[in-house]
Amino acid sequence: MNSILILELSVGIIVSFTLLGIFIWAAKGGQFDDSKKMMDGLLFDSEEDLQAAYEKEQKIKAMKEKKEQSKKEEEVTVK
Amino acid sequence: MSNIKCTHCQLEFDESVMITEENNPDVYFCCNGCQGVYHLLKEDGLDSFYEKIGNSKIAPPLQIESDSSSFDMESFKQRYIKTTADGFSSVDLVIEGIHCAACIWLNEKVLANTEGIVDATINFTNNKAKIIWDEDTIALSKVIDTIRNIGYNAYPYDRTQEDIKATKNKKDYFMRMAIAVFASMNIMMIDVAKYAGFFTGMKEETLHLVHIAEFIFATPVLFYSGWIFFKGAYYGLKNRIVNMDLLVSAGATLTYIYSLYVLFGGRGHSYFDSVAMIITFVLVGKYLEVIGKKNAIDTMDKIRSQVPHEATIVEDGVKKVVPLDVINVGDIIEVKRGEKATVDGILIGSTATFDESSLSGESLPVEKREGDTIYSGTINSGKVIRYTATKNYANSTLSNIVNLLEDSLASKPQIEDTTNELSKYFSITILLLSIVTFAGWYWYGGDFEEALIVAISVIVIACPCALALATPIASLIGISWAAEKGLLFKEAKFIETFSKADTVVLDKTGTITEGKLDVKKVTGEINADILPALYALSDGSTHPVSLAIKKYLEKNFDSIETVELTNVEQIEGKGLKAYYGDRMIVAGNSRLMDELNIYFSFDTVYTVYHFALDDKVILSFELDDNLKDGIKKLITYLSDINVNVIMATGDNDKVASRVAKSIDLKEYRAELSPIDKANYVKSLKDEGKKVVMVGDGINDALALSHADVAIAMGSGADVALAVSDVVILNNSLKAIEDSFVISRRTFKFIKQNLALSLVYNVITIPIAMAGYVIPLVAALSMSLSSLLVVGNSMRIKIKDKN
Repeated sequence: MNSILILELSVGIIVSFTLLGIFIWAAKGGQFDDSKKMMDGLLFDSEEDLQAAYEKEQKIKAMKEKKEQSKKEEEVTVK
Repeated sequence: MSNIKCTHCQLEFDESVMITEENNPDVYFCCNGCQGVYHLLKEDGLDSFYEKIGNSKIAPPLQIESDSSSFDMESFKQRYIKTTADGFSSVDLVIEGIHCAACIWLNEKVLANTEGIVDATINFTNNKAKIIWDEDTIALSKVIDTIRNIGYNAYPYDRTQEDIKATKNKKDYFMRMAIAVFASMNIMMIDVAKYAGFFTGMKEETLHLVHIAEFIFATPVLFYSGWIFFKGAYYGLKNRIVNMDLLVSAGATLTYIYSLYVLFGGRGHSYFDSVAMIITFVLVGKYLEVIGKKNAIDTMDKIRSQVPHEATIVEDGVKKVVPLDVINVGDIIEVKRGEKATVDGILIGSTATFDESSLSGESLPVEKREGDTIYSGTINSGKVIRYTATKNYANSTLSNIVNLLEDSLASKPQIEDTTNELSKYFSITILLLSIVTFAGWYWYGGDFEEALIVAISVIVIACPCALALATPIASLIGISWAAEKGLLFKEAKFIETFSKADTVVLDKTGTITEGKLDVKKVTGEINADILPALYALSDGSTHPVSLAIKKYLEKNFDSIETVELTNVEQIEGKGLKAYYGDRMIVAGNSRLMDELNIYFSFDTVYTVYHFALDDKVILSFELDDNLKDGIKKLITYLSDINVNVIMATGDNDKVASRVAKSIDLKEYRAELSPIDKANYVKSLKDEGKKVVMVGDGINDALALSHADVAIAMGSGADVALAVSDVVILNNSLKAIEDSFVISRRTFKFIKQNLALSLVYNVITIPIAMAGYVIPLVAALSMSLSSLLVVGNSMRIKIKDKN
């Protein structure tokens, strides 16, 4: 009886601490910084919004690469 | 005619005044701004905004007339723009006009789709935005124009160290609180099994396992979440102060040590659950305090961001843009249409029209003549003007108001919080009782271990669960009841202050009156010959009086013929002159008629609009601001419950006395500047009165920040909303009556709850001191006292149902 309880408690504690870990990871990433926006998150998780978020990431990546490139070109010109 | 919703802003208006489109019969717009934004969003494929907005209403788009080129100036760049590690530019902005989550979505989306913007994130809670963009692709002024085009506005703000620190602090507290709440919830679940075991029987080994699980959850709560209490207690002791932190940390640590002793083979019963509960409850309260501090900083940033950061001065005929602090007395300053005057001064060279609503609350523009004073913070609503500075920036009205607001927000009087005071004395008493118990048992029994156990059990049995719940649970029910009635209490503690209030100060425009002009009386006949000309002339200006005349004509006459007027001339602040065929028509105030030598006599106390045809006044409209629905009922109600009502306004004595008389109000104060209003509220407080201030304009913000409880109308200025403690979302005056009913009833229940939990402790503590605490008593004491408090609080809303 007690061995089952030990098993259940251990699994329970491990699962809940894992979930807590995920929560802390999300919180540190700033997901809960804006309490009002977080509460309305449900309104913005359509397929279209996910696609837009993906496109935004791609755009940022491309802009950073372009900036990096122009920096390098500038350095070459200076030399 | 029925009311109909504007397709963009969702506000309801009479169908007759709505703009319609021939090829799109399902859309209605209240103004050109809404129509413009609607089509812009549709063209950009962003019309899902209207699905996301749901039932929220937004304000019609802001019509911004000032030029955005100042955002590209070198002085602006040096002050506000930072460079990121990737070489992009970054700026912190406060966005004006955000009402709901859909507004945030729209702004972020439009900015994300703009070429050259790397990232744009807007915080919904404080409306602050961080924008990162590539200077080589797009100028900041274009980014600002993009925001303005969709009906919002943006102001830069200096992100202070204070703000960075407060944000970090809030995050830290949030993390600690989240872990405490998570662990306490788990412990609660385990408790259900544990306490059920007392009644149904539980093996010693099983109970031991349950205690181990509780130990695992309670440890991070005490040492991680509760760390701030240890830190607070340490600094308190260093400065020789016994603070709440010391009591919380001492109580929780002693209980934890005792429970550890039991866990590792000692006699008795462990109380890891109490450790977690004590820390969690107090921490939630502390977190709310931290949020309050962060909100005060956000409010100040919002206020500072609306202050202009530079001005144009004219030196030897050459214009120069300079920062405000270098402006000297005697400098000549130029102010374009739509710009704010930055320092106080005297008008030179011409007449001018200024919007002084930020000082007086009045929406009608004020006409200025040469030699008249121009106040800083007021907006030039006419042509370009020049004036001589009579004060430098630090001594000007605008700077004074900002500084006073800053001081008052930083030292917002700590309202007496009965429960906090009570908890403090309660905790000290319990600690003393437990020391006395230990001394008594050790003295008479001689057994150190037994004396310690009994002493700790006194602390545990007096676990302030019920006491801690007494206020929050009743406040929560009170606040949710208030929310149903359209009232938003920003913090629970205002319920107590509100319930004790004995004086209500009401602003006039926007609170007692609608703040919109309406035609009250027409002298003369509006016949079919003059109607088209009259309508065309009233359509030619955006002055509030012209708009009211236009609305009146649209409401009272069907299908007005459209005619072309020629030589239309606006006469600054007075009216319009034009030609209708070969006939001269003039519309405006009495002074304009005098100026044009159109002689007539007309006496009235109201705002007046004359219409003259060929040098003869043939029509006179008398206009007045409408009283709000329910104002008389509210004043009768407040007098019935012995609350003194006073009207405070920036308007002149004549208008104030007429309004006061019409609503049977005995006391009023007129011609008050924002600073006078605040001083008046302060003087009432000095007389020992508990003051509730109700207002809606920027001119009320300072007085609101000084009041014990500040109420703002939901449609009010951003600054007024920011400094208020209670927001009336539906703008209805009935909500003020409701807030009195709700707060008084809630506070009555808070007092009942406190009495209940104290009586409970008076019974259980002597039992603990006598050494009779068995687990069953502890279990009952823990849950029953809390249940009693929760059950009692549930009765708060019964009155409403009846």
